[in-house]
Amino acid sequence: MATNILINGEAHVSTREPMTPLLDVLREELFLTGAKSVCREGICGACIVHLDGQPVVSCLVPVGTLEGREVRTVESLAAEGEPSPLQQVMEEHDVVQCGMCFPGILMTLTSFFRERPDAGRDEVKAALVGNICRCTGYERIVDAAIALAKRS
Amino acid sequence: MARSIDDAVAALADRADATALAGGTWIMRAPIRREPPIRFCVGLTRIPELNAVDISASEIRIGACVTHARLVSALAGVRGCEGLVTAAGSAANPAVRQMATIGGNLCASAFPASDLAPSLLSLDAEVELSGPGGDERLPVGRFLERRGSLEPGILLTAVVIPRRALKSGHARLPLRKAGDYPVAIVSMTAELRGDGAVEDIRVTVGSVEASPRRWTQLEQALLGRRLDPNGAYDLAQAEAHIFTGRDGVDAPGWYRVQVLPALARRAAQAVLAGP
Repeated sequence: MATNILINGEAHVSTREPMTPLLDVLREELFLTGAKSVCREGICGACIVHLDGQPVVSCLVPVGTLEGREVRTVESLAAEGEPSPLQQVMEEHDVVQCGMCFPGILMTLTSFFRERPDAGRDEVKAALVGNICRCTGYERIVDAAIALAKRS
Repeated sequence: MARSIDDAVAALADRADATALAGGTWIMRAPIRREPPIRFCVGLTRIPELNAVDISASEIRIGACVTHARLVSALAGVRGCEGLVTAAGSAANPAVRQMATIGGNLCASAFPASDLAPSLLSLDAEVELSGPGGDERLPVGRFLERRGSLEPGILLTAVVIPRRALKSGHARLPLRKAGDYPVAIVSMTAELRGDGAVEDIRVTVGSVEASPRRWTQLEQALLGRRLDPNGAYDLAQAEAHIFTGRDGVDAPGWYRVQVLPALARRAAQAVLAGP
């Protein structure tokens, strides 16, 4: 069965088994390796992408349900070669450590700030409960996110 | 991907090994639970009726494929639904709440830590089923008892909450502040008289045993008295022994029971804090 999906603005036809996780299609068919395959049970958040604009854990999305839908991955954030304001603030604050959790954190915060651009610290922390950072860099990540919120 | 309820019922009745697929957050984790992969799924999320939320003066009708995130936005500020909004808005994590559905949550019979199930039980909700033999409406408590042994082709299509002059609260205890499964849940829905006395009340306990159930002994003890969080704590302490906690990697069974009085107090506080 073929599934037509719009991925980062480009049409893609996947012929994988319908129950294949979107994550595997992104990484193995399209070589979009920003989304990471870690817990594969929706707990760690390393595979978060946007589905029709909303953050989802791509490890639990069956590709067969995606006909006609739009997926955006971390690779689309700097589409013009220019990092997004969120990516820039993370770089300015030198936040990235091993990088495993980071694409998921960027995708969570990108959609979160669209709805709550001037969010406070507690709200940012609540938004990130589904993104686990094993380097435990949370405080600096939240500091950087708050710096961005203050600019809005 | 089914296009209508009739389509889905026909496809499910046609194959004994068919499974209904809504948000996918339970079914897609079958490999992690070391269960055999599910080969044939009937996708439900494209069926328009299953995605509808209708709020009328007498009831709230929620399609089976409505997600936790959508429940929060659709029911925020709706009187009586405070507990359900808390349950839907704190279960799992934000990305899972965008996917996991109310119908899937009630049908995942092997998942003991559901937030929605005890909340809906306390709200006296009903579920609507469609099947080859026609439609049926039954109390959510009856459905929870029957859900492990439904005949092939039976599909949960909607959850219906009656609207009455109620206040509700939902108290859950995850091990971290958020993002974990709750080790125990107390959900409370009450109708209070002008003097604060309890006219009617339903208290449910989730995540402690394999399936949520009503705490009728505590309900009886609270009935007719002024609702007072500390009083609820004391009464709950006297009645907590009726539960047998399930042992899990997150918490031993005795701990789940031990925290119930504190959760009963918080649930009563949440009920009183409502509008």
